[in-house]
Amino acid sequence: MTALLRRARSRSRPDPPPALHAPLFHDLVTGLDETERYVVLDLGGASTPMLALLGRARCRVEITDFVHFGGIERLHAAEPGPELGKAAESLLPARLSNDAVDLVFCWDLPNYLTLDALAALMNAIGRRARPGALAHALIFYAEPDMPEHPGRFVPTADGQLMDCCAKGKTIAAPRYSPEALGKHSGGFVIDRARLLSNGMQEFLFRLGSRA
Amino acid sequence: MFDRGRKDDDTIESQGANRPGSDVSYEPTRPKATSRGGDAAVIGRSIQINGDLRGDEDLRIEGDVSGTVELRNSALTIGKEGKVKAGVYAKSIAVDGETKGDLYATERVSIHVNARVQGNITAPRVSIEEGAHFKGSIEMDSAAIEKALGRTTASDAGKTGAQTKPGNVAKTRTAPKDAGSDAGTKVSASAKTA
Repeated sequence: MTALLRRARSRSRPDPPPALHAPLFHDLVTGLDETERYVVLDLGGASTPMLALLGRARCRVEITDFVHFGGIERLHAAEPGPELGKAAESLLPARLSNDAVDLVFCWDLPNYLTLDALAALMNAIGRRARPGALAHALIFYAEPDMPEHPGRFVPTADGQLMDCCAKGKTIAAPRYSPEALGKHSGGFVIDRARLLSNGMQEFLFRLGSRA
Repeated sequence: MFDRGRKDDDTIESQGANRPGSDVSYEPTRPKATSRGGDAAVIGRSIQINGDLRGDEDLRIEGDVSGTVELRNSALTIGKEGKVKAGVYAKSIAVDGETKGDLYATERVSIHVNARVQGNITAPRVSIEEGAHFKGSIEMDSAAIEKALGRTTASDAGKTGAQTKPGNVAKTRTAPKDAGSDAGTKVSASAKTA
């Protein structure tokens, strides 16, 4: 009887999304030194699993949630140039001189920005980050289409990623090339890239030292 | 900077990750409510308060509060209808509604599904449910948390939240049931019904 109940209960639960092995992300989060303090900027939404993962180290996490707080719309509404730069600045948390950003999670956000908007955003982030800071992004690469809206990626305890993107309407993916990304990433340069099993390309950018 | 190897004891449990020797935890499960809803004073939906709110008992806010909220030894719940534009300092803070301002809790901050929170959180335990919207920072460094909680008062916290009018102090008193526009909760002259 108990076994039947357990089986029925497990059937009624939706299957968890498949874990996606993203080696660069894995190395990044499992390589955090628990004795060091990091300032992390997450451009996606807050998730408790992500906090659990970062809670291993002495982190302060800045969460901007571009999707739910209108960040993408504000960047799209701004004219390229100074107005776009100001819009990008205004979307980020206040700059603290003694606590520069060490690590940035962009997730799939760059796919939903124009290259001008991406450049403005990365420039603004670069001004808050310390030289050598890392930025992690997931770029649609193999498939011509992508979900209409940015998705949700939730890490597992062992540093994998669960792709929780809602399945629905799709739009054409910009499929930005590494060259285009490299030119529009502010002071960040591509450090490493990997093609993932879901057709996305995982990028790790590193902020160069400013002269 | 990020090329250090993983340590052998760097394992986490499903209930959240804690650094060894740290009290900081981030719990994926919804925590038990700290206060029993029936015992808490309630600021009802039609109440607007603009000023400082202080007290020594659990409080549930369903109305609009701007200024600062300080319940040093008690639990604060911001209900689904609650809109708080204030720096908040409490033992525990649970949010179902909307807040704009910094949240300081000596025990825990819980942000529930459909809540909308803008501001910085400083607390030893923080949980954010799937479906909650949060923008701000979360301090997870236990040393920084202790430093912040030891030094911070709601008045400091309020500086990043809403403007505070000096002298507008609303002190909660015994309110066995939903105070609403009743006289159970004394909210002083600065409180008004919508």
